[in-house]
Amino acid sequence: MAEFIYVSVYFGGPLLLLGLAFFAGNAIAKRHENDMAERQKTVAHMDLSDIASFRKPEISGPPPLLLNSEVTLGIDHFRGFLGNLKNIFGGEVKSYQATLDRARKEAILRIQEQALAEGCNAVANLRVAFVDVSGNTTLKKKASMVTIQASATGYRSAE
Amino acid sequence: MIVVNTETLPGHEITSSLGIVQGNVVRAKHVGRDIAASFKNIVGGELKGYSELLTEARREATTRMLAQATELGADAVVNVRFSTSAITQGAAELYVYGTAVTLKETAPAPPPLPAE
Repeated sequence: MAEFIYVSVYFGGPLLLLGLAFFAGNAIAKRHENDMAERQKTVAHMDLSDIASFRKPEISGPPPLLLNSEVTLGIDHFRGFLGNLKNIFGGEVKSYQATLDRARKEAILRIQEQALAEGCNAVANLRVAFVDVSGNTTLKKKASMVTIQASATGYRSAE
Repeated sequence: MIVVNTETLPGHEITSSLGIVQGNVVRAKHVGRDIAASFKNIVGGELKGYSELLTEARREATTRMLAQATELGADAVVNVRFSTSAITQGAAELYVYGTAVTLKETAPAPPPLPAE
């Protein structure tokens, strides 16, 4: 009996945490994806490019302006665990990839929404970069979150 | 002041460059935020504390850069770039730089062709 309690406490805690992370993490990711798909519709008509020049700008319109966004997403315990496991054998680490992808999408979406709010209908010179806020990469610790920073210029296009 | 990360500005001509203007900020969140984030991290999702940390740092750094540009008498800052570095855990440096320029408005573009 004593061993049973010992074993269940020793393994049960981490397993419970993994299970919680798996279900809650998936639900949060799913909700985020759906939310982004919905918001994507409102900005779908905008011209978005990473070219450093303006396409048919409205000369008489308001001056272009700098847009920024920052997004930090946590990598849930389960995905982190999967990632670590995959790291042993090598290969594509899909669990991290999905989170990075989500963070980038969100950052770009925020830029576009901001542009729309400022009365722009086009975004040029989009730059997306990974930021190491936690110092995880330099300290060689397990990366547990991803931060994406995006900047761009919003303007009014005559198109 | 017009601030953009492109090299040119529609409807304007850059008459002179006043050199590089820059601003940097190192910011950290208090330890409570770090602990809260580590709990949130179990299930993933956005860690708003760190997003805010970066937003605040970027605003502050941009303000400093603009102060320099104003001092130089610039009309605009073009080709603005952001760069970050991790100092320690939970702290980030944000560095922003751009070129301060003076502008002249160019003649308005010819009227657009009539739509077909």
